[in-house]
Amino acid sequence: MRILLWAERQKLRRSNMVWVAFFATVLLAAIVLIGGQQVYEGVRYIDTPGWFLSVLQPWATMLALPAVVALLGSYMICREQQDDTLKTLRMIPINEAKLTVAKMILAFVICVLLYLLLFVLAFAAEAVLHAPALPVGMVLGFLKAYLIDGVTVFFAISPIIALVSRNKNGYWLALVFAELYSFTGMFTSMSNTLRAIYPMTAVFGLSGYYDSTPGQFALSCVSVLACGVLAVIILAGQSKAAAD
Amino acid sequence: MLKLVETEFLKLRRRKLPWVMLLAAFVMPFFAFLFYSYLGKKGVDPLLFYKMSALGFTMFIILPVILGVLSTILMYDENQYDMLKQLWIVPVSKLGYFFSKFFMILLYSVGFMLLTAVGSIAFSVLPGIVAFSWGSAFYLLQKCLEIGVLCAFGLLPILAVAASQKGYILPVCATLVYAFLSFFLMSFNLYLHPLSSMAAIVMRNNDIPGLAFTGAPNLPLAFLCIDVWGVVSVWVADLALKRK
Repeated sequence: MRILLWAERQKLRRSNMVWVAFFATVLLAAIVLIGGQQVYEGVRYIDTPGWFLSVLQPWATMLALPAVVALLGSYMICREQQDDTLKTLRMIPINEAKLTVAKMILAFVICVLLYLLLFVLAFAAEAVLHAPALPVGMVLGFLKAYLIDGVTVFFAISPIIALVSRNKNGYWLALVFAELYSFTGMFTSMSNTLRAIYPMTAVFGLSGYYDSTPGQFALSCVSVLACGVLAVIILAGQSKAAAD
Repeated sequence: MLKLVETEFLKLRRRKLPWVMLLAAFVMPFFAFLFYSYLGKKGVDPLLFYKMSALGFTMFIILPVILGVLSTILMYDENQYDMLKQLWIVPVSKLGYFFSKFFMILLYSVGFMLLTAVGSIAFSVLPGIVAFSWGSAFYLLQKCLEIGVLCAFGLLPILAVAASQKGYILPVCATLVYAFLSFFLMSFNLYLHPLSSMAAIVMRNNDIPGLAFTGAPNLPLAFLCIDVWGVVSVWVADLALKRK
């Protein structure tokens, strides 16, 4: 597995797709910062300490980042088929399921890094605008929230990426589905119960963006973990099919 | 030119994904139906229902993302299978090739919005949430046609990015950022981004409840914005295709 991870990392280093994803994340943060210039009851949103750190996570999550991560994950899986390198890999021989797991681990790391980048950008903007009014406890709380977002968002979309490993031409569908899946969170967030169950909003229950009761928190945990288990089942099915 | 468009149609017929993506036209009508069913309201103002089902997120997020993905698919296939050289040998003019793709996007966009209109009427009238009237149905149809046509023109920059790239990661990430940007720019300046300008044209009469602008939108400026972006996109695409 370590060799597979090393090989995948080397392949990624030669590709500019990770930089495109990071650049897209920077642009998303810049766009929300522009949105913060809007005035509400005589005060610009951005003038409230903590506003940017607070709103960047739901906006980026519900409109763009899960689709970007799904695209990256599915790209890593599909490129072996597209570049016709899968045959060579099978001849080595490499366990295809293990290869997919290695790619998913890398996608997971990228997802967490993208959320950390979001945090760094939001924190930098907040520090420039309201440095003395930012309590350390609040900043650390947001750091924890962004980290949890990064981990749980990957769990929430992992079944989509895992499904792509079964249908190697399904990366477009994965992208469209991931976008609609995250976008639907805007509506499920209207109901307290639904937002605890729906994986894309459950991540906010876990990260602390939504106030949730212990019951809702448990529901969110189950929902996100169920997505992870579903991804594992899909990958296990693929491994069994390969063995047969 | 007509021959090129016919060829594009024949190519599209063999693909399943664009047809599957049309299902996204029913996403917002379905959510609007769920929302008003949850509230238990009957006899709702048709404009309120249609604002949610067709004139809100469908116009700002779903349609632009779907068209961006379709633009990338249409451009990427020829690059992937190295068919561009053969097309240039035929010879096919670079701009003719670009406009044949654009024509497909335009037709798809109009078809998508017509489906949204049909879905909106079906999900509102059949469960009795809205009382059917020809006036409101024609109003919705007119707005959907306007959105369908204008959004295709608004997506020209993405088509140009897709034409200038060999891969699909950058155009797709650009699509997400592009849609996200228009959504946030709307509250500041309607005439910087083609999709915000499209919104200004569609809502020119300030007759959509909750989406009215302060003051009458400047229609010539909105058309100018779409035109300028369109002309620059065609120029960039022409340059990029000539280099291929």
